[in-house]
Amino acid sequence: MLSRVANALYWMGRYLERAENLTRCLLVTEELSTEIHAFNEKLAQTEWADLGAIFPGELDGTSDLDHLRGFLAGPRNPYSILSSLGKARDNARAVREALSVEVFVTLNETYRALEAQASGAPADRPDIRSALSATHTGLLSIVGAVEHTLSRDQGWLFLKLGESLERVYRTAAILRAKVPGLMAPPPDTDIPLYHVQWRSLLRSLSSLENYRKLHGARLEPTAAIEFMLFDPHAPRSIRFGAAAVKAHLEEISGTRELTVPARIVGRLHARLCYHDGGPALPLLDDVQVELGRTHDALDLLYFGT
Amino acid sequence: MDWQREKRTFDEAFEASGGARPHYKTVLSILQAFSGPEIERRERLQKLSLLNQGITFTVYGEKDGIERVWPFDFVPRIIPAAEWKRIEAGLVQRITALGLFLLDIYGEQKCLTDGILPAPLVYSRREYKRELLGVVPPRGIFTHIVGTDIIRDDAGEYLVLEDNCRCPSGVSYVLENRNLLQRVFPELFAAYPVQPVKDYPDLLLQTLQHVASRMSQKPVIVILTPGLYNSAYFEHSFLAREMGVFLVEGHDLIVEDNHVFMRTTQGKQRVDVIYRRIDDEYLDPLAFRRDSILGVPGLVNAYRDGHVALANAPGAGVADDKSIYAFIPALIRYYLGEDARLPQVPTYLGFRKPDLAYILEHLDSLVVKTTGDSGGYGMLMGPFATKKEIEAFRDKVRRNPSNYIAQPLVNLSAHATYTDGRFEPRRIDLRPFVLYGDKIRVLPGGLTRVALRPGSYVVNSSQGGGSKDTWVLAPRDS
Repeated sequence: MLSRVANALYWMGRYLERAENLTRCLLVTEELSTEIHAFNEKLAQTEWADLGAIFPGELDGTSDLDHLRGFLAGPRNPYSILSSLGKARDNARAVREALSVEVFVTLNETYRALEAQASGAPADRPDIRSALSATHTGLLSIVGAVEHTLSRDQGWLFLKLGESLERVYRTAAILRAKVPGLMAPPPDTDIPLYHVQWRSLLRSLSSLENYRKLHGARLEPTAAIEFMLFDPHAPRSIRFGAAAVKAHLEEISGTRELTVPARIVGRLHARLCYHDGGPALPLLDDVQVELGRTHDALDLLYFGT
Repeated sequence: MDWQREKRTFDEAFEASGGARPHYKTVLSILQAFSGPEIERRERLQKLSLLNQGITFTVYGEKDGIERVWPFDFVPRIIPAAEWKRIEAGLVQRITALGLFLLDIYGEQKCLTDGILPAPLVYSRREYKRELLGVVPPRGIFTHIVGTDIIRDDAGEYLVLEDNCRCPSGVSYVLENRNLLQRVFPELFAAYPVQPVKDYPDLLLQTLQHVASRMSQKPVIVILTPGLYNSAYFEHSFLAREMGVFLVEGHDLIVEDNHVFMRTTQGKQRVDVIYRRIDDEYLDPLAFRRDSILGVPGLVNAYRDGHVALANAPGAGVADDKSIYAFIPALIRYYLGEDARLPQVPTYLGFRKPDLAYILEHLDSLVVKTTGDSGGYGMLMGPFATKKEIEAFRDKVRRNPSNYIAQPLVNLSAHATYTDGRFEPRRIDLRPFVLYGDKIRVLPGGLTRVALRPGSYVVNSSQGGGSKDTWVLAPRDS
């Protein structure tokens, strides 16, 4: 397929996944900051700062509401949901002929609805919550349309490649931002709050239910980190994500010899499969670096940009 | 519901006596039965549907919201079978003659030796490409896709206003208008045998395949677009999707050894036919404008060598030059030995001395146009212009007379159009689309454009025009 089209589909996949990740994280952060504000205001502020580290951009204003508006559709935030959705849509418009009507229309509808929300009267928290939920539903519909209407050709592979690479990269970023503050258990009095934070982390990675299926209701930090890093079945674990990126790259290159990006991500995947203990943070840093190299290599190989 | 009639010009829906024309009776009575709020509701559904589907066009020179929703009026324009038969036959005749004319002026130039039209006129046209003299396009076809603009005078006579032999746009809206009307007002279709238009992408694909040079294998066909910011981008992408062909930009293509390839994730792939939606000037920086970044270096040489087909062929634009237009009835007689079946608007040519004098004397009553422009740009509507505008135009015409032509103002027919709770007459035109492949086919109907402002003659979507679904009725079995 055309390199330009492959490039647009790859970025469309990345931006859609990025928008979905931020939507989910915002829903969780909004809830968490409401819940803990009265207990520990400083911690509530830290949550917003963490989010700003995962989706880098200026934090708008100081209040929770300011932050919410900024991440939802702040004009100065390049990572805002509206901005990512808009970029996904721009890419989709540029290659509309490579997509099904269903994919474009669901994406366009989701974007238009959020845009209308953002350009209307200033939203309060319930408005923002409902806009977030509606956007989340819309994003899941787009993924559904991709799943059910697109032919499994090269275009589909590049879209899924962008999606999986963005997902595993963003998961690593979330863990990297949150884990340092959550490793050591706090004094006994703060234990309930500590568990709320862990629960939120797993929820922001759509992994709370999956974790519970494996480990029950008890939140054990080491088990939770292991789960997010190495679980072979959870769709948002780092290992699962690396396997997906690897599989898509291998399918794109076909039966030929392994390409440079496939080798980089293949080594990363092997490392995750055979990992036996050791600190999580350096590993998370490596994951982000290797994924960056994978992106650069595939960009050079397939898009020639 | 209130229906206004147009008294100053031909009304498509109503007789001069005030009653509805026979073929409009049913549709008017169906619409009449809707309550105001119900019509409002359907209008909202229609707008939402357009917005969500991203059926838009781009307006140049506007800062925000450059992507605009296509304005659509739901009252359909209806053309009875017998009227359409005449239009269709007239178009086939006209496009046949234009094809022969193009082959001739890029070949033996008999029409010039025989004095049918003056050679200096042809040579001085910007769209005449001397570089391509002697080049015969694949299967001798220059104009694979033509959009001819047709208007109706006060008596309801159909007149050809201009031919578009370069990159006529609008056909995607013909198809989308039909979809939209069927969704929002399904009731209207129950009472009429409306000829379908949805096979256009198939016919277009056949037309393009017809000129592929490698017939043994499956030819690779692409649409070449200037890109996302072109006003017709929606259409380029729509047609690529509907035909299942690649949509490419200039930098997706490369020319090696006079063959055209596209850059893919698996290396180079050969291209056989390019439906280009880029004007000649920008097609190839090596052949035409050097500063073009939209085109493909070397493309014209690959075409010259017959390794790639271009639709429409470069150089075809000279046939829709507005001063060549004046000679088309004579060209039809010359090549086909027939009189033109479709009349056209009388035209005064700036390069003819007596015509020029007449033009300069009657600027306030004529429509003056530059010969090479399209889209309603660069013209003077004498009867509506201020003294100052007329004087400014007089200078321009004096300085470069052969760049101008003038025509009497033709009134354009009017058609009932829904505006703010009422049905009011608005002026319309018609652009049928003609495909030239193994034979010449005319898509039934075409794009009816409507000037949405009261009294306006300007139907261009870039300047406040909208469009209607256009119905050609099937001949009734009797």
